[in-house]
Amino acid sequence: MSMTSVLNKVWKSLSRQKAVLAILALVTLMLFFDTNFFTPYNWLDMLRSTSIIEIIGFGVTVVVICGACDLSVGGTMSIGGILAIMLVNANYPFWLAFLAGILSGALVGLVNGFLVVHQKTEPFIITLGMGMLLKGVAQQLTNASPLSSRNMEFMKISNQQFFGIPSLVVYMAVLLVAFFCLLRFTGYGRNCYAIGGNYEVAKNSGINVIRTKWIAFVISGSTAALAGVLLASRMNTGSSIYGDTTGMLVNCGIVIGGTSFAGGIGGIYESFIGLFVIQLISNSMGMLGIGGYSQQLIRGIIIVLIIGMDCYARKRKREAV
Amino acid sequence: MRNENKLLRFINQNLVLLGIIVLVTVTAVIQPKFLMTRNLTNILRQMTSLAFVALGMTFVIIGGFIDLSVVGMVSLVSVITASLINPIGQVGALLCGLLAGALLGYLNGTILTKFGATIQAEVLFITYGMSSVFIAVGLLVTNAETLRIARSTRPYDMFTAIGSGSFLGIPISILIFAVILAIMYFFQTRTLAGRSISLMGGNKTAAYLCGFNINRTMQMVYTINGLMSAFGSIVLMSRVTTATATLGTGYEANAILCVVVGGTTLAGGKGNVLRTLLGVFLITLLSNCMNLLGLSTYMQTVMNGAVLVTAIWLDNRKRL
Amino acid sequence: MSQPGRNILVVRDVCKSFPGVKALDRVSIQVPSGVVYGIVGENGAGKSTLMKILSGVYEKDSGTIEFDGKVIERTTPIQALRRGLSIIYQEFNLVNTMSVGENIYLGRFREMGGMRGVHKKARALLDSIGSRISTYAKVGDLSASEMQIVEITKALSFDSRLIIMDEPSSSLTSEELKRLGKIINQLRDKGISTIYISHKLDEIFEYCDIVTVMRDGCVIDSRPVSEMSRSEMIEKMVGRTIDNEYPPRMHCVGGPLLEIKNLTTRKLHDVSFTLNRGEILGFVGLVGAGRTEIVRAIYGADKVRSHTLHLQGKQTRVRNPKEAMVAGMGLLPEDRKREGLILPFSVEANITMASLDRLTRHGIIDRSKEKEIGERQIKNLNIKTPSAQTRTHSLSGGNQQKCIVGRWLELDPQILILDEPTRGIDVGAKYEIYTLMNRIVEAGGSIIMISSELPEVLNMSNRVLTICEGRVTGEFNPETASAAEIMSRAIG
Repeated sequence: MSMTSVLNKVWKSLSRQKAVLAILALVTLMLFFDTNFFTPYNWLDMLRSTSIIEIIGFGVTVVVICGACDLSVGGTMSIGGILAIMLVNANYPFWLAFLAGILSGALVGLVNGFLVVHQKTEPFIITLGMGMLLKGVAQQLTNASPLSSRNMEFMKISNQQFFGIPSLVVYMAVLLVAFFCLLRFTGYGRNCYAIGGNYEVAKNSGINVIRTKWIAFVISGSTAALAGVLLASRMNTGSSIYGDTTGMLVNCGIVIGGTSFAGGIGGIYESFIGLFVIQLISNSMGMLGIGGYSQQLIRGIIIVLIIGMDCYARKRKREAV
Repeated sequence: MRNENKLLRFINQNLVLLGIIVLVTVTAVIQPKFLMTRNLTNILRQMTSLAFVALGMTFVIIGGFIDLSVVGMVSLVSVITASLINPIGQVGALLCGLLAGALLGYLNGTILTKFGATIQAEVLFITYGMSSVFIAVGLLVTNAETLRIARSTRPYDMFTAIGSGSFLGIPISILIFAVILAIMYFFQTRTLAGRSISLMGGNKTAAYLCGFNINRTMQMVYTINGLMSAFGSIVLMSRVTTATATLGTGYEANAILCVVVGGTTLAGGKGNVLRTLLGVFLITLLSNCMNLLGLSTYMQTVMNGAVLVTAIWLDNRKRL
Repeated sequence: MSQPGRNILVVRDVCKSFPGVKALDRVSIQVPSGVVYGIVGENGAGKSTLMKILSGVYEKDSGTIEFDGKVIERTTPIQALRRGLSIIYQEFNLVNTMSVGENIYLGRFREMGGMRGVHKKARALLDSIGSRISTYAKVGDLSASEMQIVEITKALSFDSRLIIMDEPSSSLTSEELKRLGKIINQLRDKGISTIYISHKLDEIFEYCDIVTVMRDGCVIDSRPVSEMSRSEMIEKMVGRTIDNEYPPRMHCVGGPLLEIKNLTTRKLHDVSFTLNRGEILGFVGLVGAGRTEIVRAIYGADKVRSHTLHLQGKQTRVRNPKEAMVAGMGLLPEDRKREGLILPFSVEANITMASLDRLTRHGIIDRSKEKEIGERQIKNLNIKTPSAQTRTHSLSGGNQQKCIVGRWLELDPQILILDEPTRGIDVGAKYEIYTLMNRIVEAGGSIIMISSELPEVLNMSNRVLTICEGRVTGEFNPETASAAEIMSRAIG
């Protein structure tokens, strides 16, 4: 193999990993500033803060790989958390509250799946509407004010440490491995890739496309609710405002990682990196002392640019002479 | 026999509409207060700002796209207008606000065409990003403070008139809306530009092969939407006499809701600004009914979400 | 049949109609085990329809199909596969984003014992036909011939006893073709039958044992290849009794109108030709030879690497359809539902959409003029529609096509490009389209006509260009040249 072809390959695989490039660029940028950015504490903290959207992202990735999309996860998340706290406060055992929270998400996923799987149109707006509905439900449940729990055991779930590592990071790691295996090594996971890659071929190969997609929505709803329960435990409160931008942010992070809305491309590892980039951006902006509003501005611009570049690459391919 | 079929088809195609009409009738029976003139005028006042935004959104959806950035545009325009009253006076501020809206819309359209975004997913996320940019700019400009136009040193009677004035018993904002609606209806049904929007929404490739410039039409659609959002923003701001960088929260979903309930399909091509008006009217009535029945605003959000999901779901089923 | 061994597939009297078209008319074939069975025929002869019925994509109207001794009434693609009947389409049925191994065992991941089992078994199968493709390679990164091998391997993985290949050579180089030939011979040695569908007669003679010629949805002849000569085969493919199917040919050809030089794109290589005034110029070639690409490039719908375009001797630039229209061109696209019509719109809106510019004053469309145009073209073209406001998706194919023709007639273009103008429309409507074409050239316009139906091109055109693999390979006068001669040049 010649030198140039090796370089070519390196370049090709690098350009496919936009998110890794973004991380490298940010880390390099931070080298020039004297901050606490490079302390192990900061990185652990970043991992902990990102764990909630990472967990949601793992579930949504399954849906996106099937060629669909779930924007309702923000609402699902807040409902899961609120429900768990309400049950805990009603003196149910904390594990029951935990399970009930997750089940509520599964239920939402079931409904989402029902609305989407039989239709040929894109599921964006319908899940967006679902998110709106869920937010209303969350507000109704809490009267739009935060709801705090009085159960120490419930609070402990997300606020303890295992061998010096925050429990949230451990949960995230476990789920990361679990979802990685689900998508990589199980028949179900491979069927998801097939459906997203080419719906007709998957159908003709005898894959039950409707069931597979439907299950993907249930998975996505469940993980979103799980993340909501964990967040509620971490904050010791459940609130209807927690999920406001989550749906959009998670889906954007997944695309940044390289999982495509066209379906069939990407994976858990990519989503992990993509969502981590979002955290890294806000963390480094915070470290640099950039204000919250400017952060929002920069985040908006980054979303437009990255999704836009994705479109542009496809446009170039379409119009290739 | 034929007539019966036609009736059935009509019912089938307007399930959501009919459902809302039933709800409204029931409320009117339970709560006679509902039919009082004061309540009805109130409803009209409340719906105008949403009606403007939904009017713009109708064009975007007829063209086969979607725009989530109306939240940002409504908010930013209100901030720009309110902060310009003192330096350049109310007429200047009003004109600058409208111009700013059109420019923001044009910016959206240009970014989308430059990146070559063609499918709904791409458009959705890019406009979402733009929305957060607009809001952030508004927050930076105002430092997240609420601007009260009532406190401006210059006269702002024009805004008061828009916000709470009436002419012959009809709110002035409604009169403005009626004029704009008439213009937009004419634009949609009679002009070449209006026709090119629905042709593009109906079949982009066919329209392109017949010599239509798809990119330019797309820019035009988003500019119109920006301008309409600016109108909506100014009406809203005048009514509540404040401007904030998050004034438009919820407008994107509500505007889409009104358009879809009115019967414009998300697939593009088909639709009508008058039907959107009907959608706006019914959605506003619905929330008014729920107020009168003593339901919380949160339940209204739930209701709106449910109506949106049902409307899209039914619409999709029709197309199968 | 005199061949020894059982028949793996017996098709008896199968008929299939689509609205307005009889696609298959009492088709019967018998395929013995362990042979390579060729099916030849022009585009639209009914080969693909037959394949789709066998695979379960379409349902037959009548007749019987027996596979491996069992009568098969209804089937789905996956059932057909599991029974042992695989079809390899021109457009591969593969998931480009997944690996070779997984594509071979798509949907059977668990049966095969997970990822390791899939790759191990795929490796063994690939080895058995002597292929060295890595089972971990992504299908999207493979060449066309490699994808074909993956498809064949997939067929083998189902223990197929009959593999149908639809135009397997269309995307292969000659080297790759030899390799395919070897694989087909291996399959025969294993007792697996192959149905080989192709236009390319050389391949039929090289690989096949038996050949069936189809034309117009009928089986014309089935014989061992050794008993049929090449010229005989071509004659049977194109031969057709012509009885007033076409109006008399027009002769009003004038001087050069449009000259194209050195048109080059990714798929086209240095295409040059001239179109004369009042001429119908026919493009003959196989599907995918580059005919549509040529006209789209001229019309400005696709970007090109290079070309020069002279219109009436003057160099003209056409960068988009708008400029093409200004220069006096009109295009009736190949896929009328996806590129031509706006289906949910009215007949009138579809007719007027290209000429709206002329109806507009100060940006406002003159509705009464628009109505007038709609009515005029509906009457002029005899479009059968309840009213001008009827939506086009409820019209028949022929009437839909007339809407598009009417759209361009109203503009009165100098050059009208018709890409498959009669595809999927019934005989009566076809004749009307032909007379329309004659009226256009009589009035001084010129027409470029693309058609997959050779007789149609030969009877309508003043001049015929053959196109093969993105190149112009020949020019003929259809009044003197024989169909066989032209066909052989188009096949390349």
